[in-house]
Order: sequence, then structure tokens, then C-alpha cells
Amino acid sequence: MTINYSPSELMAVAGARELGDNQVVAVGIGLPMVASFLAKLTHAPHMTMLFELGVIDPEPIDTGVGLADPRVWYRAKVLSSFVDILGMVLHRGKVDVGFLGGLEVDQFGNLNTTLVGDPKGQFRHMVGSGGANDIASSAQRTVIIMRHEARKIRENISFITSPGYLSGGTSREKAGLKGGPSRVITDKAIFGFHPETKKMMLISVHPGNTLEDVIDTMGFKPVLPASVPFTEAPSELELKLIREKIDPQRMYVG
Amino acid sequence: MSKVCTLAEAVATIAPGSHIALPGFAITRCAMAFAHEVIRQKIDHLTLSQCVGAMDADILVGAGLVDRFIYGGGSLDRFGRLANVNRGIENHSLDAQEYSSLSVTFRYLAGALGIPFIPIRSLRGSDLLEQLEQTHPEDVSMLKDPFTQEDWLVLSPLLPDVTIVHAQVADEEGNAWILGPRWDNAEQVKAGKRTVVITERLVSTESIRHQPEKTVVPGLVVSHVVELPFSAYPTSVFSEYDYDAKHIELYVKASATQESFKAYLDEYITSTKDHWDFLNKVGGLKLLNGLKADPTLGY
Repeated sequence: MTINYSPSELMAVAGARELGDNQVVAVGIGLPMVASFLAKLTHAPHMTMLFELGVIDPEPIDTGVGLADPRVWYRAKVLSSFVDILGMVLHRGKVDVGFLGGLEVDQFGNLNTTLVGDPKGQFRHMVGSGGANDIASSAQRTVIIMRHEARKIRENISFITSPGYLSGGTSREKAGLKGGPSRVITDKAIFGFHPETKKMMLISVHPGNTLEDVIDTMGFKPVLPASVPFTEAPSELELKLIREKIDPQRMYVG
Repeated sequence: MSKVCTLAEAVATIAPGSHIALPGFAITRCAMAFAHEVIRQKIDHLTLSQCVGAMDADILVGAGLVDRFIYGGGSLDRFGRLANVNRGIENHSLDAQEYSSLSVTFRYLAGALGIPFIPIRSLRGSDLLEQLEQTHPEDVSMLKDPFTQEDWLVLSPLLPDVTIVHAQVADEEGNAWILGPRWDNAEQVKAGKRTVVITERLVSTESIRHQPEKTVVPGLVVSHVVELPFSAYPTSVFSEYDYDAKHIELYVKASATQESFKAYLDEYITSTKDHWDFLNKVGGLKLLNGLKADPTLGY
């Protein structure tokens, strides 16, 4: 039987599958939130969700416009502060997985959320870090969620807001950082990172796409293992939970 | 001793060139009425700081009163970017010192603890750090941990001249309750040389004594207390009122260019004589009543 689903739904499902039970997860609004709620409702009921500003395990019933919307804090177990969450949980090393997104990601998983253009010439300033740099620096590992477009997945980016593996190899460790990105989930494929070079490596291609589709629509050629399987499609239950329970207004999952 | 005064009186105590820590987070619990009054009194050459850039900073930058902004990035959530701040960065009229949210919070924490610097794992390897090393080497440095010999990035403390805090409830001494998450507010208050409390509701010290565990701001750090309902409008206040999406959209549209933003300030801020006049101008009691929070939901 074929089940119809959107690329965003598959991204949310793939994100959920990265999360384990009893893990502590730092989440932003959008697809990462959908992925985290889905994990909690399926295989990871004892997972803890953190929002940077001081919110633990909310259960929103209305869709918010961002982290600053009290709709997103509803039914939380803890309402506290940045020092409490990003400081004494994340910086302390107790966040297992952090979700990140951005304007651009490069071949080593470095992220730009700061500016578009040339930082020394003409540029447009965007959002900046917020807690993203902190999560990229201190989480045990990060999962990056991005649209699959050549202008977003590039060999080099104009500004590193949140560090991935910097210039590859051991450069991240040399900068004094542990952890690093473990997955990049796009609407066409899932990537990991080569264990030595730390260059982005294709892991699976979403059903309905070819290897050529994936490579031709990104800014560089990723490491290609001998065989690349298709990403496992979402199950009926996962889709039902997303559509009926987690995002019935289709605010985050298009 | 009562520290209660009017908003105009509290704002008049702030000298041009001061460093002000602002309480907002994107579009929630922003010191909007305060920012409006600073614009009316034209207090300029300000340094602003906050861990997530918010609407209270953006409007002051847009009014041309800010020389320096120390922040961790920010936006107006889904409504848009901090257009005035971004324009200032793009045309180099604003000295923006851009960190991550936790690193700004740690700088307040160092200030609050009275320690000379604070180590942090954030920023390392990023272009944020490279930029800071080039433009503000006085605030970032590397140091060897004397116990493990590991290298650490250290940041200088932030010591604002005045911290503005927005609270749901406070008494006349400035003992204040911040309900809901409070991001960097507690550290800002303790790091500041003094604090101005802007409260939705003034209550007796006796009511504070009934639930003292809710007190986030102790009166001992407070110089002035201003009671002003809807003083974060058009941003939200947890358990008090929602944001006004229509007015924020109008603000975002106006902030597209310097000229249209000046027209916004002329129409809504400098041509209204105070907060009450502003509230009447935007829609008065009828509008505000529609924004009131459901006590169970908090919004």
C-alpha cells in the first residue's frame, strides 16, 4: 500500500527517529518541535524537551508564532531562565541532541543564520545566533534540518554562526569543542559525516528522488558510500499523529 | 520607603550615553512604554544590551538613539526581522556586538556575581568570535585553566548603568514577581547598578510577603517603581495579555525603510503625549480588553 505524505512530514519523521527514550533534547520552533512531539508520542515517551528561554516539556494546544509566544509554553513542567536551561543543563553537558536549522549549511555542517552576502562588503543581516551557537557548541550531538537547495547547502558559507566540524578533520576538537552534527535532514535526503574527513556523507535518499536529484540540487558533491538506500517512509500512525494531534493547523508541516 | 513614580520621572533619571539592559525577548514582555518615553524625551547615545534582541531595542535603534547594541541575535518571531537593528548593522551606523544568547547571559551573570570574567564553551570556532576579537578585544580573551591547563574562552562582565525590568506584580519597594519564563532578566537585574521596575500592577508589601518565593527582583536593587498597565503592548505578557498581531504587522511594515519608520514614530510615539494617549490612539480599552489573557492558558 502506498501512503501519501509531504516532504516536510518525512523530515519530521526522520527527525523523530534520531531521538531516543530518556534523552534530553534542545528544540526550536517548527519541524524540530513536530519531530520531538512525534518521538514522545511514539518510541520516546520519557524524552525531555527544552526550549532555550527557560521552558521544559510544554504541551501546547495552540500554534505559536515563535518561542516568544506563551502558546508554546502551555502546560510546561518548568518555566525558568537561560542560565537554568542553556547554562545549567546544556553548558553542563546534559543535552543529548540539539536541533538546528539555518540559512546555509556547508560541507562540514557549519551553519549560518547571521547574514546573506559578503560580510566585508554588501550584506543583509538576518537573525543571528540566539541559542543556536550555544547548542552547536555544547550539545552531545546536533541534528540539522534544512531545505534541499543549492543556495542553502553549499561548499563554503559566508559566515559561521554555529560551528559544525569547522574546516573538517580534527579542527573542531582543536577549537576546544566536543560533539558536533550527526545528521543533516533535508526534503530529499539524509546525510551523516565521514568519520575522518568530517565531510557531509549521503546516508539515504527519500523515496521519489534519485541520487542525481539529490546531488544536482546541492552546492557540492557529498561523500558517497558504495550503496545508498531509500529513507524509510513514514508509517500510517506517524502521519496520523502529525496531522491530527501535533500540527492539525498545518502551521509547521506543509 | 516608596519608590513609586511616573514613567516620565523614571526615564528622566537616565543620562544620555547610559548603558541600559532591556527586558524583552523577541515579542514578549518588552519594555515598550519605557522605550516610547525614552523616544519622547530624546535620551540618546545609548548602549543597549539583552540576550535576545527584541522589539524594545529595535524601536530605540530605529529612533536613532542607540550607539551600541550588545546582543545574542534576535527577531520578531514569525512577524519579521529586527529591521531597524539590521539596517544599523548593514550601514555601519550601529556598533552591534553580536554574541550568542548564553554568552550575553553569562556576561550578565559575571556582572551579577562581581567576578572579573567568566569562561564559556560557546562562540569558539565561530565567526561571531572572530568578529568580536577584531572589533572588541577588550571583552573576549583566551585563558589557561590553572587546574587542568585547558584553554578557555573568557568574557568580560556586563555592568549596565540601569536595568529595566517588566513585571506582572510589584510593591512600592520594587519587590517584583516575574511570572512565566524570565530568560536573562534575573541576571540583568543583579548585574545592573540599579533597576527600574515597570509593573502591570502595584500591590501591597503584605501581598508580596504572602508568596515571597515568586519574587525574582528584590527591592534592594531597585531605584524606581512605575505602575503602568499594558506597558509591554503591543508585545505579550504571560498571564496578562496577548501580543497585538495587527499592530506588530503595522510596525514591521513601517520599519521597512528609515522614512516610513520615522512616519510611524511621528504618528504613534512623538505625537502622543504619554502611554495613555498612545493606548487610546491604537484602539483604547476596547482593543486592550480583547487581548486579555485567559488565566488558565496564560495567553
